[in-house]
Amino acid sequence: MTQVKSYLIITLLGLAVLAPHAAFAQESESDVSSGKALYDSFQCWQCHGYEGQGGRAGPRIAPTDFPYIAFAQFVRHTNLMPAYSPNVLNDDQLKEIYEFVRSIPAPSALEDISKLDFE
Amino acid sequence: MKSNKDDRPDFSMNRRKFLSSATAAAAGAATLVGASKTEAQQGSHQVTAAAEPPGAAQLQMEYDIPEGYSADQAYDYFVSSPGSDFMVDVIKRMGIDYITTNPGSSFRGIHESIVNYGGNNAPELLTTLHEEQATAMAQGYYKVTGKPLMALVHGTVGLQHASMAVYNAWCDRAPMIILAGNHLDVTQRRTGVEWSHSAQDCIRVVRDYIKWDDQPVSLQHFAESMARAWKIAMTPPRGPVVIAVDGHLQEGERGDQNLQIPRVTPTQPPIGDEAAVAEAARMLVEAENPVIVVDLMAHDQTGIDRLVEIAETLQAPVVNQYGRMNFPNRHHLSQGAGVVARADVILCLELYDTWGTINTMRDRVHRDAQRRARPDAKVIDIGVKDLFTKSNYQNFQRYIAADLSIAGDAQATLPSLTEAVRSEMKRSRRSSNSERESRWQTEHRRVYDQTLDAARYAWDASPISTARLYAEIWQIAQHRDWSLVSDDSLKSRWGRRLWPMSKHYHYLGRSGAGGVGYGAPAAVGAALALQDTGILPINVQGDGDMMYAPGAFWAAAHHNIPLLTVTHNNLGYHQENMHLQRMAARRQRGADGSALIGNELRNPEMDLAKIAGGMGVWSEGPIHDPNELGPALVRAMDVVDQGEPAFIDCRCQPR
Repeated sequence: MTQVKSYLIITLLGLAVLAPHAAFAQESESDVSSGKALYDSFQCWQCHGYEGQGGRAGPRIAPTDFPYIAFAQFVRHTNLMPAYSPNVLNDDQLKEIYEFVRSIPAPSALEDISKLDFE
Repeated sequence: MKSNKDDRPDFSMNRRKFLSSATAAAAGAATLVGASKTEAQQGSHQVTAAAEPPGAAQLQMEYDIPEGYSADQAYDYFVSSPGSDFMVDVIKRMGIDYITTNPGSSFRGIHESIVNYGGNNAPELLTTLHEEQATAMAQGYYKVTGKPLMALVHGTVGLQHASMAVYNAWCDRAPMIILAGNHLDVTQRRTGVEWSHSAQDCIRVVRDYIKWDDQPVSLQHFAESMARAWKIAMTPPRGPVVIAVDGHLQEGERGDQNLQIPRVTPTQPPIGDEAAVAEAARMLVEAENPVIVVDLMAHDQTGIDRLVEIAETLQAPVVNQYGRMNFPNRHHLSQGAGVVARADVILCLELYDTWGTINTMRDRVHRDAQRRARPDAKVIDIGVKDLFTKSNYQNFQRYIAADLSIAGDAQATLPSLTEAVRSEMKRSRRSSNSERESRWQTEHRRVYDQTLDAARYAWDASPISTARLYAEIWQIAQHRDWSLVSDDSLKSRWGRRLWPMSKHYHYLGRSGAGGVGYGAPAAVGAALALQDTGILPINVQGDGDMMYAPGAFWAAAHHNIPLLTVTHNNLGYHQENMHLQRMAARRQRGADGSALIGNELRNPEMDLAKIAGGMGVWSEGPIHDPNELGPALVRAMDVVDQGEPAFIDCRCQPR
């Protein structure tokens, strides 16, 4: 069963790379703002950080090119984090969180951060 | 210690020490001052080169009946040669440099002897604000020096305070010698608190997690038990020991003038059985993908060097679980835990949890276990854990049936294992090493590039990212020798991921039992060991951990121990935040905020800089803007370079 789920996730991730984000191409500022509020209140930051940068407790989730379907799969069914059922986090809320995560900009390039020159 | 001494009384030639020193130099005076012939013949460690034999007037002043007292009065009032003076002689002979303490009446006798008879020098008494701090300091000190520190505590209330830190030390295999004051003879106890501070068996409270204890009933018994305690504590598996020091033994006359101080002869560590080591070598040489996993192994730099030698001989990747700084993290064979899944032979060296290395258990309602390693992978387990363990506390982890289990200190066993591997290797196997080396170099480079890339995310964020935190500290650490004296496990391991580590003091491992309150005092203990070495101690301090034992910073200030502390202040017991969030999600309720209840450290937010400042430590913060951290660190280093502790409070991302 676990293997089946893993294949499902891999398939969804594959789709993520290929699929356009048609359904969420027009996210609004209000979606992002309310998404951030939900990100905070549902404490996604506990494992993923306030900027979605990730860490030992959870993977980096922003910026992301994952389509919503893959994002939702992780939240609802993954082996890697607590499963958030629609009973506690409904689909609308999850979509708003997704919009916020998508809105987080990419950081500066590595070569532009001199303090990360550890060579 | 440094400048604070200027404010202290000059102990360099007090009456007792003068007499003791002079007596050791003049064997003929031995019986007068109570030193044994043996001590005098051996040449006391207390001898002060400039000391002259005491004059008649000085001897009279010390040991004759003081003017104005009858013989009976003098007998009632004075002690000429207290037992605790001899105890100090024993401690000095053992080479103990420091004794940490929080003062207590049950050991006032030896306290006075350390200060006035021993001159408060080797051992020097270090004041702490809590026995847990005194004991945790010993753990940090050991992990730098490889030597045990001594802690002096009440046998009852003090040992109970110390117990958490003792348990950490036990799980971390950190030796220390704890002296616990107690009054055994019920007819000789003062009324009141001396009864509350006495016990029939005061050590019982920690006996489940120490290696050995004793309650000497004579001074000779004390001397022998102390030597035994040192040996037991330092013989792998190392761990804490406790000696109860009876109050009357301390305070009464020494009596017997022929006491002997036994020489402490270190026990050689156990080495794995020769035939078993040969079999391990054969398995490793024949393996296509041997992997070495290591945790509590390296006692010192020799351990690191030996591990490098065998890893390079095999070109086998090393997964360091960082109980100790076992392997250089920039070596191409330093690899992540994922390589275990590909291994056909796994060499486990002093693992805290061998089962958990080979298997995994998901954190779900139904805790199903899965093997992480290949089904056909062979496991070789070398370590000392089977040589000494106890039943009640379950830190021995789940049982695993290793294919080859060898009882022996891994560091001590590595030379014979490496030699056996070399003799077992045929030319064809040796010739494959270049391909293996190339493969692991590529893999190491790939993972390191990923690490650097990951560090740039949230680079400008406020609260400050943990990667940025370590990168900023590195700007001041990289130009000098340094020691990261705090565990970075709860900071996404950015210290060990970013900073190049190769020396045994570059990383000091973890608390052992996960007992919160280890960080600050252990850091101060490590800094104590590093002072005068030119090595900068760096403590990245959790906020929750700090508030268990903030007084540790006072000890650093009081004793002028240089230490750079930067907080990873995430305003909560963050691990528990995540646990509660997991529980809420699992139960489908309260996932939108309840996790903070019971876990957050807000409302009000604590001003940690003010707390450290109140302890006499230079401090700054809270710093929210990552761009302000670098300049603050430069200011802090000005303080540290003057031999003082400095503290910066930094508001950080959770992990």
